[in-house]
Amino acid sequence: MHEYAFYLGCIAPNRYPGSESASYKTAEKLGIKLLDLQGASCCPAPGAFGSIDLNIWYAMAARNLCLAEQMGKDIALICNGCYKSIWEVNHKLKHNDELRDGVNEVLKEIDMEYKGSIDVWHLAELFYDPEIVGVDKIRESVTVPLTGTRIAVHYGCHLMKPKKERHFGTTEHPTWIEEMVGALGATPVEYRNKMLCCGAGGGVRGYDLVHSLDITNEKMINLQEVGVDALTEVCPFCQLQFDRGQIEIQEKFGVRYDLPVLHYCELLGLAQGMSPQELALDLHAISCEPFLEKVL
Amino acid sequence: MARTKGYPEELDKKLRDTRLYNEDSNPEFTKTVEKISMTIPHMCYQCGTCTASCPSAPRSSYRIRKFVRRALLGLEEEALTDPDLWLCTTCYSCTDRCPRDIAPTDVIMAMRNLAARRDIVPVNFLKTVQAIYSSGHGVPNNDVNRAARMKLGLPADPPTTHGFPEYIKGIQTIIDHYKLKERADKIIKEREG
Repeated sequence: MHEYAFYLGCIAPNRYPGSESASYKTAEKLGIKLLDLQGASCCPAPGAFGSIDLNIWYAMAARNLCLAEQMGKDIALICNGCYKSIWEVNHKLKHNDELRDGVNEVLKEIDMEYKGSIDVWHLAELFYDPEIVGVDKIRESVTVPLTGTRIAVHYGCHLMKPKKERHFGTTEHPTWIEEMVGALGATPVEYRNKMLCCGAGGGVRGYDLVHSLDITNEKMINLQEVGVDALTEVCPFCQLQFDRGQIEIQEKFGVRYDLPVLHYCELLGLAQGMSPQELALDLHAISCEPFLEKVL
Repeated sequence: MARTKGYPEELDKKLRDTRLYNEDSNPEFTKTVEKISMTIPHMCYQCGTCTASCPSAPRSSYRIRKFVRRALLGLEEEALTDPDLWLCTTCYSCTDRCPRDIAPTDVIMAMRNLAARRDIVPVNFLKTVQAIYSSGHGVPNNDVNRAARMKLGLPADPPTTHGFPEYIKGIQTIIDHYKLKERADKIIKEREG
């Protein structure tokens, strides 16, 4: 069993707890134990918080990293926004002495010290990594194959970009999450401008909602063109933007899509036999029923 | 000041606000942006790949190429007072495609930091600070969600600062170190009463 400190972030536990629940259960079936990371806070939000003062962003993210260092465990998380803060600050502090000294100066006030002793991973990349889980093992864990469903993937931005700092290879046309969707028995579907942002990041959702929804709407149009039963992603903030965003798009632009949006962990949970109740799919703004009818 | 000798007076007045000259430039601005952003806007040759990759460009007047140019030319006022500065979704598409290996996204982040130092910052950003200061979360828990969590067999509050509020003190100490909460409160009060 691989053990990780499970960094929750905000939106998964506080808006879509089904993704949190699914993460524990699906990971356990695949040989990963997710441990509580007590006292963790917001990562903090890279756009909203980092825009005001990057130094505070570094220090706050470092505090979360220190909690995992004290446990002696690598961090696993399920949100691209958190990945940007937690992975990237870890990376920057490991490679920039001046930055690390500055952060530790502040952390001293709360009796903490960043050491750089752990690594940070997105649960999706651990699932894909054949040395930890791998696509074959995902396929073997499926008890309710999602056969006959067409599912599109939204990768989001902050997991893989900027690519020269990350380790995922191409950000123009990746297909690794499609492989993991295919392993569940579903048909992964390509669509126009797949790597386009959801529109929520950088504080834009709060600053200019209509502008942010217009980007989301462009994605929705592209998805509608190819016809899919569900959209999957690996970021609760993107999930919020697509899920609640569809209601807002309906109000503001008068167009309706009714496309179910599920975190990959929720999708995996369904395929491993978890019920919609166990995944709290009723908390989604857009009903997952039409998709569930095809699956269950 | 516009230099439009012999030009119609009305046009001259209009151009006074739009044309920029050496004396409008602050070379220190370029250096400060490069230091905070840890990237190299002075290498930009203005190809426009960034703007062409930008999800905000087709639906607004926001032009990332223009901001990189402003960084290079030291046009501090133009950069920091332009409300388009806050339309970057930080998607990093420009950064991944820049042929000069610049990270235009980080140029924007540095400019936002510099604007915020002068209190030029939209309130929604500051409200996130307030939320994190009081609860540790930018998006805090609520009663509907607590009930849903319990139905799932999860604790009503996650094992974060919500479940262990004694950790909030540490977060407040960090934010107070930079006096950010005070500033956020003050600005929000000024704008919203």
